[in-house]
Amino acid sequence: MDVIANQLFAGLSMASIMLMIALGLAIIYGAMGVINLAHGEFVMLGAYATWALQTYAGLGILPALPLVFVAVGAVGWVIEKVVVQNLYHRPLDTILATWGIGIILQQAVRLGVGAESRFVKGPELLSGNTEIGPLIMSNYRLFVIFFSIAVLWGSWLLMTRTEFGMKLRAIIQNRSISECYGIESKRVYSITFAYGAGLAGIAGALITPLFSTIPTMGTGLVVDAFLVVIVGGLGSLIGAATASVLIGEATALFSMIMNDTLGRIAVLAGIILLIRFRPRGLFPTETRR
Amino acid sequence: MENMQARDLYSFYGKSPVILGVSFDLDPGEFLAVLGRNGVGKTTLLKSIMGLTDRCEGGLAFGSQDILGLSTPQRSKLGIAYIPQGREVIPQFTVRENILMGTFARPDGKRDIPDYLFEMFPILDEFISRRGGDLSGGQQQQLAIARALAMDPKILILDEPTEGIQPNIVKQIEDAIVRLNRERGLGIILVEQNVPFARTASDRFLVLDKGRVVLSGKSEDLTDDVVEKHLTF
Repeated sequence: MDVIANQLFAGLSMASIMLMIALGLAIIYGAMGVINLAHGEFVMLGAYATWALQTYAGLGILPALPLVFVAVGAVGWVIEKVVVQNLYHRPLDTILATWGIGIILQQAVRLGVGAESRFVKGPELLSGNTEIGPLIMSNYRLFVIFFSIAVLWGSWLLMTRTEFGMKLRAIIQNRSISECYGIESKRVYSITFAYGAGLAGIAGALITPLFSTIPTMGTGLVVDAFLVVIVGGLGSLIGAATASVLIGEATALFSMIMNDTLGRIAVLAGIILLIRFRPRGLFPTETRR
Repeated sequence: MENMQARDLYSFYGKSPVILGVSFDLDPGEFLAVLGRNGVGKTTLLKSIMGLTDRCEGGLAFGSQDILGLSTPQRSKLGIAYIPQGREVIPQFTVRENILMGTFARPDGKRDIPDYLFEMFPILDEFISRRGGDLSGGQQQQLAIARALAMDPKILILDEPTEGIQPNIVKQIEDAIVRLNRERGLGIILVEQNVPFARTASDRFLVLDKGRVVLSGKSEDLTDDVVEKHLTF
């Protein structure tokens, strides 16, 4: 019983990280139909930005979060302006272009910072564990779980309760008529892309104490995030949340019953089966095109 | 109030020109009907005014400003309201959200919905929380007009507003268009298949054929001979 409870917590913790990464991906896909293969590298940039802020400015992870959000968001904004914006009507080329951008970012960090693993210290405030009976929960992982829920909530409010969100939803449903009513779709797209990138940056910052910070860290993470987005239904926030919990818990439980490798295979098999019967994911949404 | 002036306007989809040297004038508060058979470029002409075609050449001015170089949102903010064929209300938005969307084109940034919209179309008040996609065609057309009026426009551009709409609402919509022109002084460019309505409502007309103006004049000159020659198949 203890083992199961602890595994469930581990699954939830994994889910919260996947959700943070998948959210930005889901928002960018849902809004623009862009499959952003550089998303993992945005996560990596967030992690390195956090490392740099800690090493050179002595800033802890928590105070670094807003700075990392703005910095990675700015990188995303520039990439959208320079590359992605010219490719909106060529979805296949966007995939190739963002993949290339990912490689460039990865190599730039490898050249600039080095290939060796970097260490980032977790916040003092959140060290230690919370124990409920036999269930032992790391305070930091608990914090990440609640933080990811807060980010989900915040993103949902942004999409449904603000004028910016309303403009974005209008563009998603009918771009040309939205432009006829004063909505600058290019500007809205740039901001949305930057927001998605910023979210990836925050995710990267938060996972620094849990993962090793290396230039290739994004590649593995983005695969999981893509699984979450596909299972959840492309572009759906609620879908991303549900799918990350499902996949996180399934991975944790299968790993306990079998082992990590077999558990991973079982989860992938499960996802393939699910896609066979629900090709548009659990919560399909209307997207452009 | 501004006038609109098109001079030798060409409009392209890709490399193919669809509008070939069209000129027209719309004085402030004037009502212009654009007539023609199917596929002669009427809708494209309206889209060109909004900057929705791939490319335009020639001259298009609104007031003293040349607008061909402006983006679609910039044109809308000058007070040009476009109500496309098929209405294109946002299906997932409520009636209120659809109307509110019209105010995004207001240059003063105000977000008030004028009350007279609901006097003109009481059904919208009744269905204020329904989704746009759940309304009937006629109700959607009323919503599309209300959305356009919410931006407090100077001219309205309408593309076959009564096409495919139940007859009892057609009259309401036609009356509304005439009232907006006569009482509120809105300039109107209307693409219409219904010649009798165009004749009574508009001040002037132009007939398009194969992307060119083949005839234009005062609407009282829109005789049966003209209709026979240019508008019947």
